[in-house]
This record gives sequence, C-alpha cells and structure tokens, in this order.
Amino acid sequence: MKSKLNYLIGISLKRKIKSKWFVIVNIILAIAIVGIINIDSIINFFGGDFSQKQSIYVIDNTNEAYDILNTQLGSIDTLLESDESSFELKKYDSSEEDAKKLIEENKKNIVVVLYSDEENIMSAKIISQNTMDMINYQTLVTAINNTKISLAIQKSNIPLEEINKIYSNTDIKREILNEDASSDDENMQMIMTTVFPIIILPFFMLSIFLVQMIGAEVNDEKTTRGMEIIISNVSPKTHFFAKVFAGNFFVLIQGLLLILFAALGFFIRYITGGNSIVNGLGAEVGNIVNSILSSGIGDKLIYIIPLTLLLMIMTFVGYSLLAGVLASMTTNTEDFQHVQTPIMIISLVGYYLATMSGVFKGAIFIKILSYVPFISAILSPSLLVLGEIGIVDIIISLVIMFITNVLFVKYGLKIYKAGILNYSSKGLWKKMLKAMKSK
Amino acid sequence: MLKVEHVTKYYDDFLAVDDLSFEVKPGEIFGLLGVNGAGKTTTFRMIMGLIDANSGSITLDGKKIGYDVTDKIGFLTEERSLLTKMTVKEQCLFYGNLKGMDNETILARLDELLKRFEITEYKDKKIKELSKGNQQKIQFITAILNNPKLLILDEPFSGLDPFNVELFKKIIIEMSEKGSMIIFSSHRMEHVELFCKKLVILVKGKTVISGYLSDIKEKYRKKNILIKGDVDIDKIKQIDGVISIEKRATELEVKIKDMSVADDVFKVVSKGKNISKFEIVEPSLNEIFISKVGETYEK
Repeated sequence: MKSKLNYLIGISLKRKIKSKWFVIVNIILAIAIVGIINIDSIINFFGGDFSQKQSIYVIDNTNEAYDILNTQLGSIDTLLESDESSFELKKYDSSEEDAKKLIEENKKNIVVVLYSDEENIMSAKIISQNTMDMINYQTLVTAINNTKISLAIQKSNIPLEEINKIYSNTDIKREILNEDASSDDENMQMIMTTVFPIIILPFFMLSIFLVQMIGAEVNDEKTTRGMEIIISNVSPKTHFFAKVFAGNFFVLIQGLLLILFAALGFFIRYITGGNSIVNGLGAEVGNIVNSILSSGIGDKLIYIIPLTLLLMIMTFVGYSLLAGVLASMTTNTEDFQHVQTPIMIISLVGYYLATMSGVFKGAIFIKILSYVPFISAILSPSLLVLGEIGIVDIIISLVIMFITNVLFVKYGLKIYKAGILNYSSKGLWKKMLKAMKSK
Repeated sequence: MLKVEHVTKYYDDFLAVDDLSFEVKPGEIFGLLGVNGAGKTTTFRMIMGLIDANSGSITLDGKKIGYDVTDKIGFLTEERSLLTKMTVKEQCLFYGNLKGMDNETILARLDELLKRFEITEYKDKKIKELSKGNQQKIQFITAILNNPKLLILDEPFSGLDPFNVELFKKIIIEMSEKGSMIIFSSHRMEHVELFCKKLVILVKGKTVISGYLSDIKEKYRKKNILIKGDVDIDKIKQIDGVISIEKRATELEVKIKDMSVADDVFKVVSKGKNISKFEIVEPSLNEIFISKVGETYEK
C-alpha cells in the first residue's frame, strides 16, 4: 500500500505542478508580489515620484501667520511620528490670480490664502485643481486652525511662560483596570487591522487552492471514468489519503513559492533602493515587532508560533479531507463548485472576522467563533495577538480541529468509498447519510 | 480459475444481479451477455472488487479477489477510462505502476503493443487528441499491459473499424491460447459467437441462458433450413411446425420449431425444381438471444 500511496502522491503533485495553470498563476503571483513590494520604484520608473512633497504656496495677508503655520505642520508630523513631512511650504508674495497660474503649471500645487479677520482673528482659503487626499486635507486644516489659536494667544497678551505651558503636551496617564491588557494593545489594534489581513491572505488563498485542486482532480478522474481503473488497483482509502497528502504538499510548495516571491521582491528592492528598505519598510516592521514585544506577548511567542502553525496545518488537513469527501460524491466540477461553496463562505467569514477582530473587543461570540473549525486558524491568531484569547483557547481550537479531522477520516472514508464510483447526482445527501451509517 | 458462485447484488431495493454462477478456466473466453441494465457492469465491478455482493462469493484460484491479486487482472471498461489530459506514455506509465510494474517494463511492453497496433506515432500525444478508435486501442493496451491472468473486456470493440476488430480478436485469442482467462461482454452476438465457448445471458439480473455455446445451441430446439431452388413456398408454409419463411438474395430460410419438422419440409422441397441446397443449420446466437430476451421481457 505504501509504495502505491507514494506513487499516487507523486503523480498527483506532478500533474498539478506540470499544468499550465500552475505556471501561469505563479508567474502572475510573482509579478504581483514583486511589483507590490517595489511599487514606488515602478511608479518612479514611469515618471511618478513617491517622495515628491506637495508644494503649498501660502499668500499670507496677515503678515504673521506663515511662520506659525510652518511650525504647526512640523508639529503635526512629529505627532504622527512621520519621518518626513509630505508638504513643502513656500511663501508666495503675489496675488491670488497669479497663484492660480502656479496650479495651472503644476496641477498638484496647492495655494493657501490667509486673511486677517477682525471678528474671527483669521480666515483662510485653500485652492487646488482637484479634490485633495483626505489625510492631507485634514492635516492642513488642523495646522491652519492651530495657527489661528496661536495668533489668538499672542494677541491676548499672555506671558511667554504661560504660552509655553499651553503649547506643551498634556501629561496623560493611562490606567487600564484589566490587568491582562496594556496601553500598547491600543496601538496593536490599529496594526492588526492594517497588517494582519496581509499576513493571513496567503493562508486564505492557499486554502482555496487546496480545495480546488483536490476537487478538480477527483472529478477529472471520475468524469473520465479513469477512477474505475484506479480504484480497481488501489483501495479508496489509499486513493483518498494520496489526494489529501498531495494536496497538502502542494500547499506547502505553493506557500514556499509565495515566500520566495516575497524574498525576490525584497531583494530587488534592496538592489534598486537599499536605503528606503531600511528607513521605510524596515522601520514599519520594527514598529510592529516592538508593539508585539511590548504587549508582553513576546515571552509567549515560543508557544504561540508553533501552536498557530499546528492549527493552520490541521486546518489545511481538514480542508483537504472535506474537499476529498465532497468531490467523491459529485459527478463533475460544476456540482463540486456547488457543494464546496458553503465551506468557502465559512472561510471567507473567518477572514473578515479576523481582519475586524479588534472591533469585537471582549465579545463572547467572537471567542466562541474562534473555536469553530476552519474559522479558528484565521481568527484565533489575530485574537491571541490582540490579547482577546489565551493559549488555552488556541489549545481548545486545536483539540476541536483534531476531533473534526478524526471524524472526517472516520465517516469521510465511508462516504468516499461509496461515492467514488457514484455517477449520479440524484439523492446526494441521502447517499452520504447512508454511507455514514454503513459499517 | 475464476469462480462466481450464487452472487446476488441489490442497489437499495433494486435487484441488479440475481443468483449468478459461472466458472472461467485458464485459456477460456467467457461471454457475459445482456441488454443495457442486465447487470453486466455490476458483475464486472463485483469481480474487480469495486463493489461488494450482498451474497455469494467470487474467487480467483480459490482466493477472494482483493488488492493483492488485482496486479494479475486487466480491465477494459465500457466507457473510456482514460485520463484525457495525459499523453499515451504517461497514461500507460500511470496504470502500469498501479499494477505494480516498473517503468522500464511498462515502456518496453508499450513499445511492443504500439507497434502491434501500428500507432507508434501517438506515444507522446495527449489522449484527448486521438480519435475514438485510437483511444479504444490505448484503453485496450492499458488493460493488457501487465499480461493479465484474468482479462475483463466490457464492450471491447466499441468505436473500432472492422480492420481493428480483427486485430483485437487476434490478440484476444493469442492471450487465451497463452492461458489467460477472458471475460467478454458485447452487444454484437457475432463477436461473442466467434470467441466464446461458454456464456451467460442476463436479463434484468437473472440468468436466462448459461453454459457451453454448443450445448446451448443443441438445446435450443428451433432450427433453420436453408434452401436454394424453385419450391412451392405456400405448401411449406402450410406444414405444421414451420414458424416462418424468409426470402434471402439467393435462398430461402425456413425456421422450424424442431428437427421433426425437417422431414416434412424435405418432402415438399424434393418435389421442386433446380434444388441445389437443402441444409439444416443451428440458429445464430443473435436469434437465441433475441428469442430468450424477448421471452423474459414478455414474462
């Protein structure tokens, strides 16, 4: 049995890896991943400039607000922990009409006109060719408002000492009554919302590849009736496990290829823009790692990483077992697409729940959902990093997933044996139940 | 020896095969006949161990057929059981390996068979690119790749031209002469008649005829008389026991209910002119099949 099992695994993998679609999909993935990692270089190559600052021409009719506005924009950048300001402020001593010509010359230019206003101290006008980026607009509006406050303070004859006190940052002490939580969790939530979807996307993608691969292969063998010859030479059990192993090896190879494409992307980035990888992305990664470590989870990573990986592997095994069972009962790829849709929807729900995991803070239902097979592999790690669940919960998810897989093997094999030579889609669920009840 | 003993198979409440028994000895070609839905494919699947019988037993050389003996069996299914995206070589390597053969032996045997079937140029072609007839040849090659001890052929001549039918027949007979047991199913009775010494005719899962072909024909009481010459057809029609008279290009075929009627027919024919032929012949298997199947359906 062992040698025929190995042979079937090998032939299954070979058929998949040698197929045109595998090559095409991986070429597209490689281009996409390398491209995304080097998107700034690509834009620069085609004439764009990521590092180009937005020029803001300021017509200061108050004769005192320009310097304050410049300082305020700098303060906002400091507050946002931004290494470089995205604006370049230029004082413009000419008319508003002339300034509009600057916009005609470069459509990205922005003109800010500051007016003295006896009633409201200061008013302003922002002129641009098109609508502005929301964050840039809000930053500029905040800086103008702060400039107005500064002017008001200056005009109120408040002593310098008091002015410094007003401008100094408020001393905010943070106290969280939940001993398990820390203030760093608040930063983590933001990071998880933005970074985690990117990390779990490959898992989600690979699970779809896995289900599709097994379904397509079993159905190909069934529709061509090659299954009759295969099953007359190897037992359905051997055939079933061959598909499961081949599917998981395929996922492993595809996963390694994704890592390889990402490494290639970073290597190209290193060659074409070594500095920006250190200052830009390196700093971002550093921030995330620091946030994770400062949340106190660092000590537990030695348990979390293997447990999460184990949960993911067991979920892949679960997907492959289920895909094999469902494929055995269907007679063509179209039927298989129908029966596997609910599983894909459950997985998709898990993906969205994981991306929004920070929103459901403390909700019991999200904790319960993190135990649900297929959802658990995506949802549990995000909740664990956010401190919503503990290692015990991951172990519970693992146990539930293990039991699910055992049940899939026990009852799934019976269904597989009955279904693999079934060529009728009539009474599908009835046949499944009957097979499960058989000895 | 393949022994099928009192095998019965139900699909839920539907009786697919009812108390079927037969034996196939080494070197024998056995015919399993029946119209669509008679239970032939179910019987083949039970022999191959793909499905279990509800009762009865199937043994090969005294042992139950399991995955330990399937390497000695060749199976050609009624429908094409080829993975059409594979090339001929890949397909044969795949099925050959499943039979426990090594790649070197498979490729040597494949070259030999491709040459025999005069299709060596298709070795690296994808199966889906081949014609229906050539696909059937490849399917046949995959079934006999391992020189099986037991060869099951479900409608092997499907999609073949007369030239290739002859080629298949030749190879099947050669294999039988080398000692292979061959079970054969076909809708074409003339093919079965040429090959099979023994046969079973199934109707709705039930055995309506079973045994050696010669015995079956012997037991079948109705005979045919072939007559060439000018005879009084009306007088022959009036003879008690004459079932029908059919005019052929140069002769008459008179069907009689049994041998006792032949004397009365001869008396009338002897009074005719230019008589050059009076021959009593056994009915064809096709005639027996239609007669028996018709009788069973009427019941």
